[in-house]
Amino acid sequence: MPRLSVLSEVQRQMLQFFPCREDEGTPWAPLSKPLADSTMAIVTTAGLHLRDDKPFNRDHPSGESTYRVIPSDSDPADIVQSHFSIGFDRTAIYRDINITFPMDRVRELAERGVIGAVAPNHYSFMGALRDCTVVAEQTGPEVAQRLKAEGVDLVLLTPT
Amino acid sequence: MSVLARVFEETGLTTIAIALVREHAERVRPPRALWVPFYFGYTMGKPDDPDFQHQVLAAALATLDADAGPVLADYPEDAGPIGLPQASEVTASSNGDTVKPLGAADEITALRGYYERWQEQRGRTAVGVTGIPQRRFRGIIRFLEAYAERDDADMDERPADVSVPQFARYCADDLKAFCYEARMAQRPGDTEADIHTWFWGETAVGALIDSITQRLNATGDAKLQATAYGLSR
Repeated sequence: MPRLSVLSEVQRQMLQFFPCREDEGTPWAPLSKPLADSTMAIVTTAGLHLRDDKPFNRDHPSGESTYRVIPSDSDPADIVQSHFSIGFDRTAIYRDINITFPMDRVRELAERGVIGAVAPNHYSFMGALRDCTVVAEQTGPEVAQRLKAEGVDLVLLTPT
Repeated sequence: MSVLARVFEETGLTTIAIALVREHAERVRPPRALWVPFYFGYTMGKPDDPDFQHQVLAAALATLDADAGPVLADYPEDAGPIGLPQASEVTASSNGDTVKPLGAADEITALRGYYERWQEQRGRTAVGVTGIPQRRFRGIIRFLEAYAERDDADMDERPADVSVPQFARYCADDLKAFCYEARMAQRPGDTEADIHTWFWGETAVGALIDSITQRLNATGDAKLQATAYGLSR
């Protein structure tokens, strides 16, 4: 998004007062091997999932802090979006899944030798959550453990 | 999203977050973030432009060069803004006051050929959240027409753990994707704003969804109003 200072008043107010977790300090874990040897996964908050998986559901008791697994060799035709937010233009993702979930681009990075490999699985969460507690304390750490078990070194996080 | 970056990095994974709202990334302080000036829905910049998307990725990967964080790098601002500010900024205008040549169900039938052309050309479709095949979308229309009138409308295909308002939202999302994709196949030169204006301003399907929004808004029930908000923008 453009900087808030150039947005309309309505958008600026909405984004400025959106609840964000604010923490002290920042964790830091640099790559322990060259990028060209590293395995990369995408974790998106675009509310994407496989066509035959459960859509994200506003009624979920967790406040919809669950996640979906998207195997990295999935056909883009098998991925759909059930994001709650209406604050974005969907024509872009109707045209090209890579606009928020650059699965083809990451595969090309591996083919070009920029990264070592694409992880077996990518992951997807709902975005624009006003309360991230369950994600921060439960489902996020759970996905972190899965990524590590799958040999992932580097995670690219993409919103929508 | 930046919260996930912190959680992952704490377990030893290296993370790079793409940030759409710079001011949020400044507050959450993920280890490495690339702020991009593109509007919501356009994270990688431009759809169907692999070269541009690779430039964004390269800028994201460049944040790995830093020895300490947090790193918040800026994608050049002159690349943006790309995309519509918000789909909601296209208003429904006079829809609902005008007589439509076709009802919503017949409109779906009339658009089907274009929709199937889109699917054939692209090899994919965003339709599919309800799991109901598009050939049976007249059933979705019947459900939404009933839901525009009364709360107790329902559909056999609704899973038990999905509420009626949430299911109506899935139905609306599938109908929107169907109509938008059909329109993009029919008029490939149209801009995003043209398509939004057509859907909300001229179609019976758009008017139907808008009529549900109006009914739910009038209930005064906060949960239904949240659904209404999600339906019509």
